Amino acid sequence: MAEENEFEPVIVGFFCNWCTATAADLAGTLRMQYPANIRPIRTMCSGSVDPVYILRALLGGADGVIVGGCPPGDCHYVSGNYKARRRMAILKTMLDTLGLENDRVWIRWISAAEGPKFARTMNEVTESIKKLGPNTLGKDWSI
Amino acid sequence: MERYATIPIGNQGALGAIRQFLASLLEKKLVDALLVPLELPTGDNVVPTIVSSPEQVQAANPLAPVMPVNAARLVSRITMVSSSPDRLGVVLRPCELRALVELVKLKQASLDKLLLIGIDCHGTYSVADYGKFVGESSSPTEDFLKRVRESKGDPLLRKACQMCEYPVPMCADLTLGLLGANLDKEILLVAGTSEGERVIQELGLEEAKAAERESAVSGLVAERSKKREELLKQTREEVKGRDKMMATLATCINCHNCKTACPLCYCKECFFDSPVFEFEAEKYLGWAKRKGALRMPNDTLLFHLTRLNHMVASCVGCGLCTEACPNDIPVSDIFRLVGYEVQKLFDYVPGRSLEEELPLTTFKEEELPDIGV
Amino acid sequence: MAKSEAVLVIGAGVAGIKASLDMAEAGHSVYLCERKPSAGGTLVQMDKWFPDNHCSMCQILPTLNRDRSSQNCLRRGLVHPNVELLLNAEVTELQGEAGDFRVTVSTRSTGVDAQLCTGCGLCTEVCPVEVESQFDEGLGRKKAIDTSNPYVTPRQYAIDWEKCTRCGECVSKCPTQAINLEQKESTRQLQVGAIIVSTGFEEFDARLATQYGYRRYPNVITSIELERILSPGGPSEGELVRSSDGRVPASIAFLQCIGSRDSRRDYCSSACCMFAVKEATLIKKAWPQTDVHIFFMDLRAFGKGYHRYYERARDELGVNFTRCRVPVVKEDPQTHNLVLTVASEDGALVRRQFEMVVLSVGQTPAPQFREFCQVLGVETSRWGFCQTQPFSTIETSRKGIYVCGSAAGPKDIADTIVEAGAAAGGASKWLSSPAARKAEKEEVEEQVGEEEPRTAVFLCGCGGEIGLALDLEQLADNIGKLPSVTYVEQIPYLCYAETLETIKKRVKEHKVNRLLLGACAYINKPVLDKLAAQAGIDPELIKVVNLREDITWVHRDQPDKALAKAKSLLAMALEDVRQQDYPPASLTSVTPSALVIGGGIAGMMTALSVAQHEIEVHLVERSPELGGNLKEVFSTLESGDTQPLLRDAIEQVSNNSHIHLHLESEVTAVSGYAGNFSVSIKEKDESLNTVEVGAIIVATGGDEYHTTEYQYGQNSKVITQHELEKTLSAGELDPGGLSSVVMIQCVGSREKDRPYCSRVCCSQAVKNALKLKEANPEIEVNVLYRDMMSYGFKEEYYTMAREKGVRFIRYEPDRKPEVKADKEQLTVELVEPVVGGTLVLEPDLVVLSTGVTPGENRALADILTVPLDEDGFFQEAEEKFRPVDFLREGIYVCGLAHSPRGVEESIAQARAAARGAVSLLTSEQLEAGRIISETVQRQCRKCEMCIAVCPYDARARDEETNEIVVREALCQGCGACVVACPSGAAKIRGFRDRQVFSLIDAAF
Repeated sequence: MAEENEFEPVIVGFFCNWCTATAADLAGTLRMQYPANIRPIRTMCSGSVDPVYILRALLGGADGVIVGGCPPGDCHYVSGNYKARRRMAILKTMLDTLGLENDRVWIRWISAAEGPKFARTMNEVTESIKKLGPNTLGKDWSI
Repeated sequence: MERYATIPIGNQGALGAIRQFLASLLEKKLVDALLVPLELPTGDNVVPTIVSSPEQVQAANPLAPVMPVNAARLVSRITMVSSSPDRLGVVLRPCELRALVELVKLKQASLDKLLLIGIDCHGTYSVADYGKFVGESSSPTEDFLKRVRESKGDPLLRKACQMCEYPVPMCADLTLGLLGANLDKEILLVAGTSEGERVIQELGLEEAKAAERESAVSGLVAERSKKREELLKQTREEVKGRDKMMATLATCINCHNCKTACPLCYCKECFFDSPVFEFEAEKYLGWAKRKGALRMPNDTLLFHLTRLNHMVASCVGCGLCTEACPNDIPVSDIFRLVGYEVQKLFDYVPGRSLEEELPLTTFKEEELPDIGV
Repeated sequence: MAKSEAVLVIGAGVAGIKASLDMAEAGHSVYLCERKPSAGGTLVQMDKWFPDNHCSMCQILPTLNRDRSSQNCLRRGLVHPNVELLLNAEVTELQGEAGDFRVTVSTRSTGVDAQLCTGCGLCTEVCPVEVESQFDEGLGRKKAIDTSNPYVTPRQYAIDWEKCTRCGECVSKCPTQAINLEQKESTRQLQVGAIIVSTGFEEFDARLATQYGYRRYPNVITSIELERILSPGGPSEGELVRSSDGRVPASIAFLQCIGSRDSRRDYCSSACCMFAVKEATLIKKAWPQTDVHIFFMDLRAFGKGYHRYYERARDELGVNFTRCRVPVVKEDPQTHNLVLTVASEDGALVRRQFEMVVLSVGQTPAPQFREFCQVLGVETSRWGFCQTQPFSTIETSRKGIYVCGSAAGPKDIADTIVEAGAAAGGASKWLSSPAARKAEKEEVEEQVGEEEPRTAVFLCGCGGEIGLALDLEQLADNIGKLPSVTYVEQIPYLCYAETLETIKKRVKEHKVNRLLLGACAYINKPVLDKLAAQAGIDPELIKVVNLREDITWVHRDQPDKALAKAKSLLAMALEDVRQQDYPPASLTSVTPSALVIGGGIAGMMTALSVAQHEIEVHLVERSPELGGNLKEVFSTLESGDTQPLLRDAIEQVSNNSHIHLHLESEVTAVSGYAGNFSVSIKEKDESLNTVEVGAIIVATGGDEYHTTEYQYGQNSKVITQHELEKTLSAGELDPGGLSSVVMIQCVGSREKDRPYCSRVCCSQAVKNALKLKEANPEIEVNVLYRDMMSYGFKEEYYTMAREKGVRFIRYEPDRKPEVKADKEQLTVELVEPVVGGTLVLEPDLVVLSTGVTPGENRALADILTVPLDEDGFFQEAEEKFRPVDFLREGIYVCGLAHSPRGVEESIAQARAAARGAVSLLTSEQLEAGRIISETVQRQCRKCEMCIAVCPYDARARDEETNEIVVREALCQGCGACVVACPSGAAKIRGFRDRQVFSLIDAAF
């Protein structure tokens, strides 16, 4: 059992409708256990996740953000995930360069058939964010 | 292949020679008008001006080390609604030209009927510093060129200029070459396109060799690049991390002057001024309650980070955002720092070529293996 | 004649799904009948396909009028209001005739009442009987009461009647009394105008090939089993392990042609070579240390992009290819490794050990397929597949009954999808117009929503299932306090019909205009649409939170955190629904006429198929006459003489009042978009003619490769296959006067500059060799080849040619045959790769198989703004699932313009392309999706970033207003434009920035 006061992060997930959100449902029907720290938001495509949403979550109080999309080449919208990859690269390079909690932003390709990978990834991201501790950026009144 | 000609200086000085050259463009109808910095009657600043008379052009001063506005913005304004009906020569610094190329890719400017005249740039001062400099000098342009020739780091140069590794115009039809020219005798005229060659021919200028130019350019670029490393390192030390970033942005008042000065922030209405950011009072109070307190105006960091996200791939590092900040936030340093890393990621140099696609409109199937697994 | 607008599709694999969707999109009622308890067939057992290692299955879903079908991964099920899925069902009787068939369908009960089953899975949990999972090819286990695979939504539980012990555990556990242990059978009469058979194939039972030890040796598996092993959703979660010891095998041997190309099945299964190359590729990418060998006879990589894919596997990934048929597999009982006798590099036979052996099992007809065909009254072919007609791979022996996919013979997905489209096109001619049916729309009560948001929240308990890890009382309490929530109720089973009534009542009582449902993933689109219609609430104003799959089932041991998450998710959904906008779906009108570019057989067949629906067709042909390349092809292996077909087509096209011929004309400009194109045609007299059309079909054909190799052009005795065929056909060449002929294959194909197989030349060589032998059995015919591409039933002719004495001699591409002319005598020298000796032939005639090259496609591609592939052929939207469409909607491609292919294949593709166009042109209006983008003009700076990133041609600059507009019918709602626009001028309905911000805000 978890200790009473153990840090429980809130992680916002942007999951694409076609792959990762389906994988989440599959993980559900397979009853695979993963931490309840994730707050999933269904998006049409990983390519429709505006970096400003991620920043908004990060500066607004989320301890982590994970974007889930179709594996490269498998985008229902042909190339949305390739575009997403570039935007995420810019966002993460920026956060990294400025020393602003880059490690709290994740992107993973999880296909509709990958229920187990979904559960595994949720475990990984939660563990990793727990290790990082609370996101002070989002808790700072002066941000 | 670039081709060279020379503009003799004679006893009129470099500025005089340039004015003469510009006047001859108008006289010979090679252009119908010129967009070029003109000295204000007070003499303590220059402003980009559309000049159509050869007489008025005698007040032009593209050599003055000051850039009150990135003129790419103005070229965009002139050509955004419809392209120029007459032949317009635009005299631009390298960072202005680069910004213009980016704006063309962003469909915010048209190069139709434009003659792009670039000028080698030794850097610029802030408007205030320039005013002071002019006040203390009897022939400021000559004095500035003397400083350049003595090439002992000019302390008045803006930080952005000190670390600018693009002192030579890219994508220009014609370049007024100061680097590698013997400025006692002549200015180089470099044709970068067939259009530029045509102008040289029409003006009857003699072809020349520019033996010194290459080494002069690479020397300056090396010097600037070295400085860039030094200054980026300094910036990193000053801004990196939550606490330093917050300290850097502490005085931001969300005036958005930085985006107004930015040649590339082309939105009609900033996303941050749009209704998306008009919230009900209970939202503000809710956030305050959640965090215990809420700084107002809020979303300053979000604004800067989002603007970085939108523009940094095309940032030419002209530094005018810093100049525009009423509270001296080194916005440009941050953009330059992030821009350097982001542009490296895609091997993209803003303004290098009209053919290179903007990083965000294209992609490669095999790239960025670390982003997403 | 046509009394019914409905169609019956038998078999719900990829072919059946595609054919059903095509018919449903055209407005017809579709009964999709499937013998198994779930749809999807072999398709859902696989994750990735050649030639790109992608999934892309969802590309099969319609893009126009897209909201009509489920906008979800197809693994979760197929949903379309015009498709009725009949599972566990078989056709037992057929009466009537084309246009008016009466079909008896017999359905076996699953033992689980789908109306009552909530999918809670308790029955499976308590069931004591374990059975092999067919979905996992027996590698995984499941229960005697279970779903057929974990993806399907709503989960279709069924009893395995053979294995069930009737112990009754499940019956007593089921909270909704949904289970009945008595197996029942019911029958149903359907009236349909046409039938499409898409029953697919059965994989060859590898146990029959006893020499390979399948099922005796644990590490010998079939290619489909390997597929499941490699699947992340499979029994080993995608880990490559061998079953004897659970280790990653260090070496794998693929044995090709298991159950194909032997005396019992003298046909090629067409897809197994590529299937093996794909699996080898996936293995090499994930486990590069594993040594992968493919043992094959001919590597048949003949489809579009296949040869490149094969080369990449061989040259870049290091897959070893060895040409030899392995006679037997033995096992080392100690290690369970397998010992094979194989050819070594120098050709000598050696024994080699492998840690795993994969049998590439071929395609065979489904069991009882002959009996089934007898019920339908259609003929079967020699090998037990459905017999098709000359030049028409989709027509059976009975009018009104069509066939597509592997039911008519082995094939891969790309060809199957083409045939499915073609079959749908064929079937439609026997059906009455669906217009009448379209008109009677479900009556929807007046919808509310304009006023202040008032939301009712219903929390489903799923009969205690959701409450297991979630305190619903607290949750209800909490959500009740949030703004805009007017009413909260806990409901035992939200999915029940009675509940819908309750909700409807509450909506009225509490004047509610939005609904928030805490339920499960099975509240899918049809359920929601029904609820929305009943309750009089726009479906967009109903949001569902999956309390079961997203919370209870996955956070069993974390009740506190689960509650916190549930509170957040409900609060988020509440914000989402509060800010949801719901403008009605917009409609775009369609110009009901088509442009066909190219007057070859593909173009003519397209034009005829479209004109058959009384749609006006403009057929533009560059040359002065119709016919194209078929004028030079006089027969095909499988269908015989082509010229009557050609004459007939030309006559029909010329006499069809709906077809407007533009000969010696060219398309010079195209503007507009799907449904509304404006086309400029430069006519014969140089005048410019503008026509308005709704769809465009590219059928511009291809060219013959012009070679200068092998003395061609220098020596008159070196000719091409086409020249041979022509002179033979015209009687200008007397085979009696020849004593020896050499044919050289792959001239200009599968080479560095043209790394693709021309697909037709091997058949052409076999055909001409047979013709020569027929005319003069004494002729010595030597065919010098690299791989014989006699795929499918062409294999029989290859065998026949060998039986008739045609010699097939292989050569290696780096040691090509040499043709020398010495005075009057031609000599051909080549190094025979097996023996290694040099062979010298002295033929009277050398015939070169010169293959196909793309036409001059660039200019047209630019006019149409559609892409070309690496080789210069037109690039379709997706290689497998959208083979005749372009990404730019409303434009289709078929024939050699797409890729090299035979006459029959071109015709099938032409019909499929026509089907696509007809579907578009007969929808009077295109209905946009509800989630689409829009432009806030006030903020728009016209930077066109949105246009640059839109893959669908859905954004454009309006020429008159100069504004950036959204072509709503084309927008797929992907949101790429929103992210590309820095100004916030591009918005997407349902995901507006404010809405998403609020949603994020509500997350913590």
